[in-house]
Amino acid sequence: MAEAAAERRGGERWRLLALVPVAALVAAVTLFSTVGDSLTGLVGESPPPRDEFNIRRVVLHPGEIRIRVTNPQREDLTIATVTVDDAIVGYHLDGPRTLGRLRSSTIVIPYDWVEGEPLAVGVTSSTGIQTTHAIPAAVATPGVTGARVLGLALIGLLVGVLPIALGLLWLPSLRRARPEWLAAFMALTGGLLSFLAVEALSEALDLQAGLPGGFGGPGLVLLGVAASYVGITVLSRRLRGAGRAAGRAAEGPLRGLALATLIAVGIGLHNFGEGLAIGTSFALGELALGSFLIVGFMVHNVTEGLGIATPIADQRRDVGVARLALLAVVAGFPAVLGAWLGGFVTSDVLAVIFFAVAAGAALEVVVEVGRFVARRAPGGLTSPWSLGGFFAGVAIMYVTGILA
Amino acid sequence: MTRRRLLAAVPPVVVAATGARAALGGDGSYEATHMHGHHGIVGHAAMVGGSAPAPGGPHDLDGLLEPPPAQPHRPGRLREYHLSAIDRTIEIAPGVFFPGWTYNGTIPGPVIRATQDDLLRVTFTNGGSHPHTIHFHGIHPANMDGVFEIVDPGATFTYEFPARPYGMQLYHCHATPLKKHIHKGLYGAFIIDPPEPRKPARELVMVLNGYDTDGDGENNFYTVNGLTFYYAKYPIRVRRSETLRIYLANLTEFDLINSFHLHGDFFRYYPTGSSDQFEYTDTVMLCQGQRGIIEIDFANTGRFMFHAHQSEFTDLGWMGFFDVVE
Repeated sequence: MAEAAAERRGGERWRLLALVPVAALVAAVTLFSTVGDSLTGLVGESPPPRDEFNIRRVVLHPGEIRIRVTNPQREDLTIATVTVDDAIVGYHLDGPRTLGRLRSSTIVIPYDWVEGEPLAVGVTSSTGIQTTHAIPAAVATPGVTGARVLGLALIGLLVGVLPIALGLLWLPSLRRARPEWLAAFMALTGGLLSFLAVEALSEALDLQAGLPGGFGGPGLVLLGVAASYVGITVLSRRLRGAGRAAGRAAEGPLRGLALATLIAVGIGLHNFGEGLAIGTSFALGELALGSFLIVGFMVHNVTEGLGIATPIADQRRDVGVARLALLAVVAGFPAVLGAWLGGFVTSDVLAVIFFAVAAGAALEVVVEVGRFVARRAPGGLTSPWSLGGFFAGVAIMYVTGILA
Repeated sequence: MTRRRLLAAVPPVVVAATGARAALGGDGSYEATHMHGHHGIVGHAAMVGGSAPAPGGPHDLDGLLEPPPAQPHRPGRLREYHLSAIDRTIEIAPGVFFPGWTYNGTIPGPVIRATQDDLLRVTFTNGGSHPHTIHFHGIHPANMDGVFEIVDPGATFTYEFPARPYGMQLYHCHATPLKKHIHKGLYGAFIIDPPEPRKPARELVMVLNGYDTDGDGENNFYTVNGLTFYYAKYPIRVRRSETLRIYLANLTEFDLINSFHLHGDFFRYYPTGSSDQFEYTDTVMLCQGQRGIIEIDFANTGRFMFHAHQSEFTDLGWMGFFDVVE
């Protein structure tokens, strides 16, 4: 007893000692911040700041242009002159004129812009540095109306819920398929989810690269991916726990309806991103791109329904239509939410996080599917059925992706 | 006075006060000029902040606009000028600060004026951070040309030569890189009066220029006498009964040409001002370094615009008004 107590006391002392490096660091930072300038002066002179604005959003209303600008740099940045198509224009500010780091302001310009023609806005700093932003074709930015809410919802349903429901109709055929074929279809699901994961990750990194440096860098993407991976892992534990309670195999890979649910969640998070892309392209006036995206995503997403149906086909117990409909909604409805978000609130930071979350979720589900295939497929992960299915999945996504 | 009238009277006063601060290079001087932007104004008035233009203004460009008076012809008379190169940041547009190289602190530099056959002596001190010179247009000895006699920072050089031929001349730095030294602001007007005096007139100087503030080799602003929209904000008051003579020079860097266009009237244009030959027109085109003399006898009173007949230059600051009164 006494020994243990002494050890604990010793443990407390060690904990105090662990604070020493922190205290030393504080002292060093304080010292450096007082003499730091003369120290960096030894190395050389810092170049002047770039003084470029980050033009976040340009909103067009009849007779008016609104430009949202952010200061991406450490030094203050002052808005001096504003141009539209290389002509100085009068304006007023909704926000401060001098912007501190990551502070924003909205420039409001009374302007009679021409519908359908290119438009370039420029914001010049007090140091004369001009940041320009080109709009390929000027179209009025839509506001929030009942018709638009409904329209975006319908588009979301068309892109998300409908094709997945159609894909689920493969279930009766899958039930009659031989085990090798079922394994191949599971591997195919793994392939298409891998494709979605890579696609979402690349989208997240692309969008992140366009953000001002202060918003976290690639670490923001890692944070989203890791958080959603862990989240989906926890979810898969829960689903496995529910399976155990129902008295089935306690160990082993997730399977049957539970695996189908997990796949539906992963696909749902991805479809949220797809909805976001469609909503944003409508909001930015790229209507043609929007319609094109819809057709592409519909074709793309039918295979996702197949992915959800396959593990259900593997289990003997029958699954009701209501349960299947719920799975279609879990996987497809996020497209509606994404379309609303993209259509009404465009935020680059949110978009980065959503795509990162989609990537992490898809990755986790790929791991679950991999476990399932490894255990259940005749010949395991490296059988021709598994490999063929995986690459077929990637290939299908690639080919249908060209449409989107 | 009703409240409405009182409000109507306010804007010019506000503009004048802020303009004066601009002259001092003070901070925050753009606030009033731009914060008063009115909704729905998309005409030329919007460019200058939506405030009604008022003749007069803070008179801070008068030294560049109004040349010293012509002197009668007296061969051999000494005319002395002192020019210093000074690095100075100038507020060239509301809130936009340009790190300029100047003669005597302004862009363009001061107006130099002599009568033909005067002995011109220009003492040049380089107070800037780079080597500079003064290269005068006109007829002079080779060693007074400001090309080989580079004046280092802190050094002094005296240019001395008889002023000729008469006409509108100009001067600028000829140190290399030439493009940089000119575009930074080292240039100005140089008037040589003829032996036989020109007929009496109200006289103005207009030097056309541009500023590339972000270093991409393209001008972000165009002005006459150095400040964007200055004469749009403060129209120049002239008399219909009096001939208006403008000594015009183009020192715009980066762009091939500049121009001058007058609304509502015609004028006589004397290329380089060195002969009696003139063209009767309302628009003239000048290459960099080209210059001439304009004489206007206004037919009507009222407010008449003058600007570059390149719409882009007009939109980016090179625009103003004559306020013609009886």
